[in-house]
Amino acid sequence: MVLGGLVGPSVLLAVAVIAPALAAGVLRDLARTSALLALPIAASALLVNVFFFPGGQTELLRVGPIVATAEGLAFAIEILARIMAISGAVTLFYLTTRPADLVVDLERRGISPRVAFVANASVQTVPAMVERASQITDAQRARGLDTEGGLWKRLSGIVPIVGPVILGSIAEVEERTLALEARGFTRPGRRTLLWAPTDRAWEAVLRWALVIALFGLVVLRVTGMFP
Amino acid sequence: MTLTLAAIGYRYAGSGEPALLDVDLELRGGEVIGLVGASESGKTTLCLVASGLAPRAIGGLLRGRIAIDGEDVDSWPMHRLSQHVGIGFQSPATQLSQVTATVFEEVAFGPVNFALPRDEVAARTWDALSTVGITDLAERDPRRLSGGQQQLLAIAGLLALGPAHLVLDEPTAQLDPEGTRLVTDALARLAEGGTAILVAEQKTDVLAALASRIAVLDHGRLVMAGPSDEVLGDRRLTELGVTPPAVVRLRQAAAAAGIGAGLLAEALIDA
Amino acid sequence: MPELRTEGLVHVYPGSGVRALDGVDLRFDPGERVAVVGQNGSGKSTLVRHLNGLLRPTEGRVLVDGSDARGMRVAELARRVGVVFQDPDRQIFAGSVLDEVRFGPRNLGRSAAELREAVKEALDLTGLTGLESRNPYDLGGSRRKLLALASVLAMRTPVLVLDEPTTGQDRAGIARVRSVMEGASAAGRTVIAVTHDMEFVAELFGRVVVMRSGRIILDGSPSQAFDAARRDLLRSTNLEAPLAARVAARVGVEAVTEADLVSALATAARPPQRPPQ
Repeated sequence: MVLGGLVGPSVLLAVAVIAPALAAGVLRDLARTSALLALPIAASALLVNVFFFPGGQTELLRVGPIVATAEGLAFAIEILARIMAISGAVTLFYLTTRPADLVVDLERRGISPRVAFVANASVQTVPAMVERASQITDAQRARGLDTEGGLWKRLSGIVPIVGPVILGSIAEVEERTLALEARGFTRPGRRTLLWAPTDRAWEAVLRWALVIALFGLVVLRVTGMFP
Repeated sequence: MTLTLAAIGYRYAGSGEPALLDVDLELRGGEVIGLVGASESGKTTLCLVASGLAPRAIGGLLRGRIAIDGEDVDSWPMHRLSQHVGIGFQSPATQLSQVTATVFEEVAFGPVNFALPRDEVAARTWDALSTVGITDLAERDPRRLSGGQQQLLAIAGLLALGPAHLVLDEPTAQLDPEGTRLVTDALARLAEGGTAILVAEQKTDVLAALASRIAVLDHGRLVMAGPSDEVLGDRRLTELGVTPPAVVRLRQAAAAAGIGAGLLAEALIDA
Repeated sequence: MPELRTEGLVHVYPGSGVRALDGVDLRFDPGERVAVVGQNGSGKSTLVRHLNGLLRPTEGRVLVDGSDARGMRVAELARRVGVVFQDPDRQIFAGSVLDEVRFGPRNLGRSAAELREAVKEALDLTGLTGLESRNPYDLGGSRRKLLALASVLAMRTPVLVLDEPTTGQDRAGIARVRSVMEGASAAGRTVIAVTHDMEFVAELFGRVVVMRSGRIILDGSPSQAFDAARRDLLRSTNLEAPLAARVAARVGVEAVTEADLVSALATAARPPQRPPQ
């Protein structure tokens, strides 16, 4: 971002996103997911800049009164590169981090066990709800709820499915809470950490180096010392 | 280790009617007490009260006295009580914490909450797993177990905290015959090992083999209590909404038809 | 004309590749009461979902009144086959008992008069009359299970399928389920129950279908299923004959229910009549 134009973001993308993704074996998932993630912004940025770039002169395409310019296209590609770098980085984090590991590590560094629990349990909630919704849909269809008919019919079929999903999930949470309390969950204080993700020295050094570098670069940019 | 409930009365928060009235119960080490009664008779409430979840976790108004080895537990917080009395529920899957990847971690959940050192957590966990008989399931995903296995897991999870008393609310209600067998066998072994168990059940056949004493609840009151054979053979059971065990039903039907007890008795032992 | 039939029914779950049903041929006639038994994984639950079209056959077919079910939507099949699933809490959504029971027949487009009658009858049969305005979650688990049953009864389908109707039920609830089932088959409806309660099977059903690994290993009367000679067959599915049947085998009489056993013993105990001189 600091190194302008196309070079900066492209280098960043290659070094900080694509290389680690290759190493972790998630390149294909990464490409697919980050493309999807970036799609809306990328599409609008592309359109706006290709056609409406101020000072664009070299004409590429004319659609009625609107002109696509080469300058606009060049700028749009720069923007695209930055967007890809950001969405790539976010997706890489999501694909390479196991929630359980992240939460255990956070707990090791001091967050409350109850917060850690909620973070972990939230991940579980979605598959459990999906399963519940599927069973409920079966039961309602068995009573004549038409899920194969026209759109309006299908929309009105939401209440008999969403209702019990929510009520049932809440009831289950209440029961689970009791069972957890019965096993000492409400005891104040720390918990035993059965295991912790390995954190090698060089990883910690790298993390600190990155943070310092970011800080430094922002300062340089703001004070105008570096274009 | 004796758990004593004296003159217990309980009313749920926001309810006009008492759910339990004047209940006296004593649970001694190695003893299994079966709790029977129609649905809504107060079995679940009594389990919640005996374990301390009522009123600590769910509010409500508790009267009477609960003591462990004579010491009043009124002021004990839930986590202290859970080291003395464990409570298990009907639904196998709802008792899972859902944050653990293996059966081992799930059973360790309790000791982990008490910040015990790692080797002690491991020791207690392996102990609990072997008492219940599921050490071979240690690496499995808790969500992929059968209902019966999940109930065993739940019980192991309770045992890991070392309670001398277990209170179980219809542990086999949602299980098939195989799951029911798994759980009742495990409970029998536990009782032999000295754990005191209060188990509420609709399945009186299970209780006939497992429990030494039976207590009958009706509309929140304890209306009958005594040795298993006596209570299960009492003809008032059906009026109280309880189905007697198959053996008892057969004996009673045979007696009513004037058939000699001898013929049937021998066959019943073998069957 | 047979109500419901399966021919060479095979079901393979796409994700896991598990062959849950491996060639099932069954025929259910009006007025029959059939128990389907087997341990978890035997294919019982998969079979139930084929009867109302929730699952479609991988091979083979399901015939409802002679027509292939494949051409009918689930909502249409629900007119012919009503299924009550095991967990009432994975179904109940209405704020009142009345609304919950009306849901099914309303979906089937019944007239207002028919609707009222069907709902009233269903509530009567399940002992829920007088509770119409109550919130289902204020009722205990046993009554909620009966509510789920009532909501399907009100649809008045010719075939009624119940998935584990006695699990989690108390004595009064089981008695209700029994009377509902007896009434339904007396009225000419086909009643199919998936269950693992062998006493329930012996007392209420004239036909037992035993399943194992997606196949039918026995289709006959309770006497046949609980026959001592077939003890190992039943045991291979982790099921056991009810006590009365086991005692009967011991004593050497024919019986599967307690009542039968007692009368058989009474007959055996009577001294032989001397012919009149």
